[in-house]
Order: sequence, then C-alpha cells, then structure tokens
Amino acid sequence: METQEFKPRILVFSTDKISDPGIDQAGLRKIHYSPSVYTISIPCSSGIKPRWILHAFEQGFDGVFIAADGTECSYSSKCSEHTNSIIVEAQKIMKERNINTKRIRMAAICSVCAEPFVNHISTFSKILQDLGSIKNEIAEHKAPSLS
Amino acid sequence: MSPLNDDKDSITSSFYLTKQTSFRIAMKQRIGVYICHCGGNISDYVDVEQLSKLIANEDNVVISKDVMFACSDSTQKDMVQDINDQKLDAIVVASCTPKLHTHTFRNVAIRAGLNPYNYTQVNVREQCSWAHSDKPMDATIKAYGLIRAGINRVKYSEALENIEITAQKAVGVIGAGISGMRAAVDLARMGNHVYLIEKEANVGGRVAESGKLFMTGENGKDVIDRLYKRIKEIPEITVFTNANLDKVSGSIGDFTLEVSVKDEALKLNVGAVLVTTGFDFYQPKEGEYGYKLSDNVITLQQFNKLIETSNDKLVYNGNAIKSVAYIYCVGSRQSKGENKYCSRQCCSAAIHSSLNVHEKFSGVKAFHLYRDIRTYGKQELLYTESSRKGDIYIKYEEKEPPAVEVKNNKTVITVKDYLTYKKELSFDVDLVVLVTGMVPRSDSNDISSKLKIPTGSDRFFNEIHPKLKPVETVIKGVYIGGTCQGPKNITESVQSSLAAASKINTILRKGTLELEPIVARVNAETCLWCEKCAAVCEYDAIKPIESNGKMIAQVNTSTCVGCGICGPVCPSNSIEIVQFTDNEIESMIDGFMEKAEINTKQDSQENEISSGKQIKLNGFPKIWREIASALDDKTLTIPQLSEQLGVESNVLTWHLMTMNRYGVVEPAGLDEDEAYYMYKLKK
Amino acid sequence: MPENISNKYDAVVIGGGIAGQETALNLADMDYKVLLVEKELSIGGKMIQLSKVFPTLDCAACITTPKMSETARHPNITLMLNTDVIETVKTNGHFDITLNIRPRYVDEALCTGCQQCEWVCPKVVEDSYNSNMVGRKAISIPFSLANPKIAAIDMEQCLHCKKCEKVCVPKAIDYNMQPKRVNVEATSVIVSTGFNLFKPKNKPQYGYGKYPNVIDAMQMDRLIAPTRPYNSLLRPGDGKVPDNIAYILCTGSRDSSIENAMGCSAECSNNPICSQICCMYSIKQAQLLMGALPLADITIYYMDIRAFGKGYEEFYQQAKSMGVNFIKGKVAKVTPKEDNSGNLILRYEDVATGKLKEVKHDLVVLSVGVLPNSGIVKTFTNQKLELDDQRFIKQVDELVSPSLTSIEGVFVAGTAAGPKDIPDSILSAGSAASEAASYIKRFSN
Repeated sequence: METQEFKPRILVFSTDKISDPGIDQAGLRKIHYSPSVYTISIPCSSGIKPRWILHAFEQGFDGVFIAADGTECSYSSKCSEHTNSIIVEAQKIMKERNINTKRIRMAAICSVCAEPFVNHISTFSKILQDLGSIKNEIAEHKAPSLS
Repeated sequence: MSPLNDDKDSITSSFYLTKQTSFRIAMKQRIGVYICHCGGNISDYVDVEQLSKLIANEDNVVISKDVMFACSDSTQKDMVQDINDQKLDAIVVASCTPKLHTHTFRNVAIRAGLNPYNYTQVNVREQCSWAHSDKPMDATIKAYGLIRAGINRVKYSEALENIEITAQKAVGVIGAGISGMRAAVDLARMGNHVYLIEKEANVGGRVAESGKLFMTGENGKDVIDRLYKRIKEIPEITVFTNANLDKVSGSIGDFTLEVSVKDEALKLNVGAVLVTTGFDFYQPKEGEYGYKLSDNVITLQQFNKLIETSNDKLVYNGNAIKSVAYIYCVGSRQSKGENKYCSRQCCSAAIHSSLNVHEKFSGVKAFHLYRDIRTYGKQELLYTESSRKGDIYIKYEEKEPPAVEVKNNKTVITVKDYLTYKKELSFDVDLVVLVTGMVPRSDSNDISSKLKIPTGSDRFFNEIHPKLKPVETVIKGVYIGGTCQGPKNITESVQSSLAAASKINTILRKGTLELEPIVARVNAETCLWCEKCAAVCEYDAIKPIESNGKMIAQVNTSTCVGCGICGPVCPSNSIEIVQFTDNEIESMIDGFMEKAEINTKQDSQENEISSGKQIKLNGFPKIWREIASALDDKTLTIPQLSEQLGVESNVLTWHLMTMNRYGVVEPAGLDEDEAYYMYKLKK
Repeated sequence: MPENISNKYDAVVIGGGIAGQETALNLADMDYKVLLVEKELSIGGKMIQLSKVFPTLDCAACITTPKMSETARHPNITLMLNTDVIETVKTNGHFDITLNIRPRYVDEALCTGCQQCEWVCPKVVEDSYNSNMVGRKAISIPFSLANPKIAAIDMEQCLHCKKCEKVCVPKAIDYNMQPKRVNVEATSVIVSTGFNLFKPKNKPQYGYGKYPNVIDAMQMDRLIAPTRPYNSLLRPGDGKVPDNIAYILCTGSRDSSIENAMGCSAECSNNPICSQICCMYSIKQAQLLMGALPLADITIYYMDIRAFGKGYEEFYQQAKSMGVNFIKGKVAKVTPKEDNSGNLILRYEDVATGKLKEVKHDLVVLSVGVLPNSGIVKTFTNQKLELDDQRFIKQVDELVSPSLTSIEGVFVAGTAAGPKDIPDSILSAGSAASEAASYIKRFSN
C-alpha cells in the first residue's frame, strides 16, 4: 500500500466568506492541486481550536494549513494576530508530543487567490514530503489520547 | 498582545485539549444522502453512481441517491418526499460549493418539516471534481472522504431555531449623492424612516457638480434640485449635511450610528444601513500626458466646467479653442498599474462632452485618442453622432500610449494610429482633455473599516455575488449602492441603490426579523468567567451574568456574529459556536480519513447501462430505421453514415443526435484522427 | 391552474425571465400578492438556456434554478404559464387584465414529469430550447430544468396516435383541453418581457441557414452547456469536433445596413445601437471552449471590445492571456470552402495591416445582438405604453426613476427597456420592485 510516492495528507482550515471561495476559485479555474488536501470551512480562522489541529495529526494528517483572511477578515482587524496565537499554542502542544512544528502553516488566502493557494499547498507538500509521514512521529511518541 | 499569551503560568496546554462535554445531543439515526451529477460537472470525474452505492451501506444512512441536478425542482420535491416517507432526521447534499445552495436545501428541509440545520452541504464540485479533474480516481476517493465527513457532521447536527429580533423601521443612508437621495425617497415611500447622512455641506454629490448629462440632456444641478425638493416634502426623511459618521455599533435590525453634525453628537438607531458614498475621479499624476506640465492639459471635469461657463466662444486661459484632443482611459485599464478595471462611463461622457461643444460652439475640431470605444447599449448613438459630426477617432494601444509635449508654445501630440496600420501621427491641438476614470473615494477605507465592508481587488466595496446578492455585503443589514461598488453611470447607480432599497424593505417591513442561529453559547457548568472571551469579542456580545451562585459569560445572540474568536481563548473550553462544535469538526476529520473501498475499474459504468430498455422504432421517422439498420453491429461516423445513406450530413447529425438523446444510439469513441465520434446502436 | 385562485393582485409581472422572477420575488418578500405571467411553458427566460455566465463563470443553471424554484413555490406568487396577455385596461386607478391560458393538453395537476410519453412518441419535432440543433418529441417536457417540469403536446405536430395516452399512468393526457380566459385586477403592472435575439438570416452575407457550420451564439451556448444537445462539443454540419472557431461580433448590432440588405422593416430593421452583452458572452464562450477543446484555435473578430462591467476588463485580459486570438476587423463575407469539407472562408479587412484577408475556419459563431420584444404595448388599449426610438419600452425618467413608463402604475424591468447583462437586469428588477412597492403602498393607504 505505502510503496508509492508518499503523498502528504493536508487538512486545510478555510473561512466561509473569503478563503474558502478562494479555494473554490482554484477548482472553478481547474488549477489542480493535490487530491489529498481536505478542507473544513469555518467562519473565521480566529476560531480554530488547537485541539482540532492536534486531532488532525492524531488521525493521520501530515500537515495542517490555515487559509486565513489576513487583513481582509470581515470579523476582526486583529484576525492574523489571533490566528497566530492559536498556532503558537498548537505548536507548544506539538512540541510536547514530538510533532514537528513545521507541520502547521498559515497564509492569507483572498477570495480570488486561486493560484497563491495552489502554490502554498505545493510548497507545503514539499516540506511535508521531506518530513515524512506523521505516523512515524506519532508512533515514536505515544501521547495520551484526547478525550 | 494576544490573550492566548497572557497568564502563561496559570494555564497549561492541557486546558486547551479539554473535551467539551455538556452539550449532549442525540445522534441522527436516519440520514438521507444526495450526490449530484451536476449534469456532468461532477460525474464526468467523480464516479457518483459508485459512491452513492457505497454510501448506502454506511451506518445511519437510510437513503443514498445520485441525482442529475440536486438543485432542480423535481429533485427537491423527491427529497421532500423521501424525508417524509422515510422519516429522515438529517440530510446531506454533496454537490457544489455551499455558497450557492445552502439556502435552497435548507428550504427543502423546511418544506419537509425537517429542521434546516439538520442538513449539511458537501462541496464535491469546486473542491473536488473540478479541482482534481486531472485525476478522476483520486477525485472519487476524495469525494468519498468529503461525503463521509458530511455524514459524520450531520450526525451531530442540532435542530436550531432562528433568532427573532425587533427591527427598527429606520435606515441610515450614508452619502447623499443621487444614489443615496433616490434610495431615501423610495425607502420612505415604502414606510421606513430615513436618515440621509452627507459629509459635505450640500447634497447632490457628483451629479450636482455636473452640467448637461447623457443620455437625457438634463442639467445635473436641476436633477438634484428637483430630487431635493421632493425629499424635503417627505417628513420621514431626515437630512444631515456636514455630518460625519464616527462610529457604527450593533447589528442587523438594531444598528447605532454615531454621527457628528458640526459640534453636535447624535446617536441614530436604524435597522439597516445603505452605503452610497460614491467615487473620486482619478487624479492624473504630474507629467501623465503632460498634466500640470502644460497649461493646456486638463481633465474632462475641468473641460465640462469650461463648456458650461463659456458663452459664444470656447475660450481657455484667454485663448480661443479650435481643436481638442481627448485622451481616453487615463487611470483605467492599466494592465500593469493599480486600476486594472474599465471605468465604464467615461467613453460616453467624453463623446457627450464633444457633442455639447459642437452644439454650443462652431468650428471646434475633435480628436479622440481611444483604446476601445465603449459606448454600450443606446449610448452607441452618441458615438455615431460624433462620427457624423466629423470627430476624428484614433486608436492607440496601451503599450504605445500617445505622447503630449510642448514644442514652440504648441501642445503637440504624437501617436501611432492602429486604425491606419500604426502610422505615426503628430499634430498640435489647443487643448488636451484627459478622460479620467473612477477610483474608490479617498475616505472609503474609513467607511469600510467602520462598517466592516470588504473591498475587491479593484478596491471598491464588494457585494457578495454579482448576480445572487448584488447589493448585499457580508455584514448583515449593510447594503451598498451606486458607484462605491464600482464604476456606473447615473441610471445604473440609481438602479443599484433602488435594488438595495427593495432588499432593505423586505427585511424591515415587519418590524421584526429572523437571524441565523449560528452564534456562540456558553457551558454554564464549566465557565469560570475569566473574561478572556469578552476581551477578544469585537462585537461587545459577551457580558457576565450570575448563574447558580457564580459569574459566567452570557452571549447576546443578536449582536454575536458567530465568528468563533472566543472559542480558542477559553481555558476551560466552555464556549463554542453551534454548528462548529468539537464533535462536528473532529468527526469531519475522522470522516476524511475513512478508508474507501473504491472499485477502480473504469468500465464499471459501461456494464450498468446494458439493462436499459431498447426502443421499438415502429412509426418513427424512416431515417431513424435506416440509421439503426446501418449501425447494426457496426460503428460509424456521421460522414460515413451520410455517404452510405445518401443523406446530407447536417440532416443526419440532427437525427442521429436526437436518437442519441432518446437512447437509440450512443457514441463509441473518437476515430483515429480524433475529429469525429463513432456511433453504435445502444443495445 | 387551480380554479379558486384569487383574481386580485398587488402586481402583475409580465415575463418570467430572470428580471421578472427577481421583481416578483422582491415584491412577494414584501408580502404583496403577485401574478407572474409567462408565455412559455416554463419560467426561466433566456438565462436558463445559457451554459455559464460571465465574469464569474458560474453555471447559469446554478444561479437560475434556485431562483426558479423559489419563484414557483413562493406563497405570494401565482404562476400562469403558456399564457398571453390579451388586453390591459386602466380604470379607476387599477388595471383590468384579460389573459388567455393556452392548453398544454396535459393536466398539470396529474403529470409527474416522468417522460414516459416522450419516449414512446414517434413524432420528432424541432427543439427550440436547444436552438433547433436537435429534435425532441411532439409531447415532451419543455427542457430538463423546466419549472414546472410538466409535459405538453405540440398539437400542430401531433399524429394523434395516442401512444402517449396509453403509457401515461396518472392519465394526465387530455386531447380536448380548451384555451381559458381569465380576468384579473391589479394595482400595478411590471413589464419584464425581455428581448429577442437578432435573426442572423437577416445578415445573408454570413451564410446562416445556408451553411450548417455557421451558428449563432445561443446555439454555441447550448453546445457548451452541461445539458447540451450532443454527446460532446461538435459542429452541427457533420458532427466534427471543431478545432478552429471564429466569432463575428456585432452581428446585427451597431449596424445600419440591415434594412437595405433585406428590404424589410419590422422584424429585421436596422439596429444602430450596441447590444451590450455580445463582446462578453463571446469572450466567455471562448474561455469555455479553451477549456473544452484545449487544442482548438479561437479567433474573435471585433470592432471594439466592450468589457465595461465589474471584473469584465480583467476577464477580457484573462482570455487574451489564455491564447484567444482577437482581431480588429469587420468581416465582409462568409463562404463555404469548395472541397465539401464543411469548412468556411472568412473574408475580412484587417485593421492592423489594412489588408483584405481570407482565413479558413471550421465553425463560425455569429455573436448576435439584442432586439426589442415589446409587442406587449399593443395590449394596453386605453392608455398608450410608449416605446423609445429603438422600440424598447420607453423610460420616461431614465436618470432618476429608471423603471417609470408612460403609464402611471406600469413599470419596466430588465431588458424590456434596453440591452442589459444579467447583473444589470437583476439590479433593474430590484429597482422596479422598489418603485412598484412604493406605488402600491401609496395606492393602498
């Protein structure tokens, strides 16, 4: 099964009003990206809980990408700041569990940012390919499960 | 400073991992799943038929169907019937992006008596079949994961009721140009109080500054005077001039606009806000086509004033003007610059000015240096008339713009004319008129940040969707009209602001309105009122309240916008957004990772069709029977059939395609040159 | 049509295209009672025929079908299909309207839209929904996305073989159905009758109707649409996959030479104005064709590219960067290549070089313009509903109140007043609703 080239699985958190439409644009314009990218759309990236990120790693996602609204966020002008704090917090826990902190990444994706999104995903995929499968890290370090 | 970084010592990471436990809900047991072909948009790449069979075996899934167009009325009716017949307690629709049809399918649920929030939309088109059209097999596997995630999520879905709030039957209209003034009149006539708020000392905006207007020839000032007279007769409209919008708070149905009028500070309570703040004219840079370097280079607005104020003779700076060159697209259609867009109304405006010159003064020669003349619709008549009057049109390209220089006291234009094989022309004119475009107002950032209206790549205010929600913004209750949204002429501006007036009246007419229940809620058992949530909330929606002898957070559901910013900062995980709970999000993640047993054989579809019924052709057109017998055990292209049957190929195409439509024949791949399809009988 | 429907309405909307639906929905959402009258068998108008729409490339069906469903099921909207307005008389401030519902020979209440009748019907007729590029049956549902999805018999073509009657399980077929007159009373009337496309046969030099591989743009939109008439994107002359497609813009627009060419006046008269949508729909089709046929060459012959709306210029530049070939030049004539290949020779003057050129294409698309569809004015008998010089409904206060017409209480929405693209039609409909609602409110107080 795992003999093929390792294709990192990426969970994307997008936002309903801005970055998710941006990701839709990539599809609309048939700009292809890896099919092992899965997206969950939420109202605002400031609302992502660190536990969701950790859950993704535990379930086998190799990376988590936060497609944030940056300065375009319609909810909060401090959205980037808030989202960044969430990442810092998640990384703290990741460190405790020996998960490489490079496995989480954030960029602002606007509602027409089809190409930038695809470029970010391809760069991130390369980084994750170098890191290898999350299973290696999770297996090495048996963390107490979330419950 | 982020609240997450505060009190580092007192909070350890484990707090952030606390499982939210108090909101227990009954898992959905009878789920219906609908997977859309989207007429091939999805099914050309994703094997929807196989997926619907696989999904049918999932726990709690009672119905799993693949449908041609999930959004079509007939499918909607089927869904309603399924929900009733099968007593479904939740539905999942896997089709296009939720931005398009969430409302459609929520309404399906409502019609069937199912709570609209027991429905989940799965995006298998924009984020799957289209994004991965290069890899149909992988797209099918991904679609499976996406649908599984949707099913998992809907299992945890809760029945929610809309929040009903009292709506002020009053509207704040920001900007008293023609769009705002006109909308104010109709909003008042439809039964709302209107506060018309204007920054300047006078109402009327750009139109009041204009002379003769295309297409009607009316005078701008007269139009505004008439409109203002009408406004003054309507007691339901309060006009504030010299007024500044200082602060906006509240939400749909109940906004508070803090406005200062001279030294007086006012608080206006309104149910909705219409933004009609207009535009600025592009200001040419010094040296752009000789602007400010030569006295004889002016903008179209300056020129229009000149036409209006000159009598008998067109005179500028004491010199009689006998020739004018209009340079178009100044500040517009900049492929490398900031303003990539077309300003829409300037071609007509410039030609109209030229016609006004001819009407008022004789013997003024006009040269129009343009890129494309965009006198769309009936405005074309202006262009025809100007050509008839002898105006000369010279087409330049962006990469070779005209040069304006002062030589021997003359203003000389050099340009390559693309209408005469790029011949270089050089001529002097008495006046150069720069046809400048529209740009967002310099204070539009201030307005957009106060009202939280997003802007597009053109920096104008952005609607949600140009066809579905053309005057709505992402902020509920805040609408846009006129040129603050992008270049428009007067009629178009008025149409858009009146369209906004219509939409506003539909929400305010009853005095109460219903809001989506996607808001934050607090777990009273675990909340410790540490104030972190309230500190990050920008909508002032969280306040402390006493409950069972302790202080906890309380959410104001009409001001809460459901952004979720409060969730991650809560050390005890006691606040969450409904529909985005830990259960829902984490079960989606689980669903993505579910292993799919997808049959990768490409021919699996082919076998299915063989059970289809065969058509008897008795009484059908003779040519159908001839085609059918020619195709017996053979595959042929249309030219081959045409030759064999001695029927013209277009007639043959028409009949063969009709037979294809009614399932008599079907394509059997392309021929060797990949120019023609071969056809065979459908057995 | 249910027998017990009320005959009093706050507004009667004539024409159920996108503008009519939008107007009706706005008024209905304000709790006004609306009657929507449509002459065809389904609402949807021109937009429901389109593939995708510029500049967002959303599929037209995805935007229209929800609006159609919403219109069809709104509790405040009554639909009357297959219906003509016979007369509108203004009396004592309201309108008395006489309508004629033509028979569809299928009972609307019984038909389930199962299409069994259509499958067995042996009579093949032209399918106007697909611009006659394919056949349908004498009994059929109007088109797959029709609302309501109910069959109808084309009685002029019917063979009376009764095969349909035999297979119809709910017994919905009724050969003896009669036309029905209905009188209604309305406070206001909204005219949203839309437009006609220019008939390309009236430019005989382009060979439409003579050479099967010369088609008009609506036919191309059908060919690209997911609900297309063929199994793939093929040319109608011989089913070849086209690989060198030409667009001739301004066919029947910005043109004062039409009348002379044909010597007729009413239907094919001159059209001196610009149709406002053809540049953009051609660019849209070109972009879609580049996606569907990656190896095909696409050339657009134009006079001026009028990409004026929000995001349009960017859309035009995008088409250029995708490789669509834009040539400024007026096409004089289209002739067939004399090798029986079905290919065509375009003769045009190339503005960039000043030379007369001849080029081969295997499919030619005529980007036909927008003509008025204002026959409705004849039904206003005791007051005159005026037309403008181009025979669109006259806007009597174009700048300040764009929906007002020459009759108080009659409003105009969408392209009935002049060429418009979809976003502008929708805004115009919203504006007509605002005017009409203000009028109704005053009237009812």
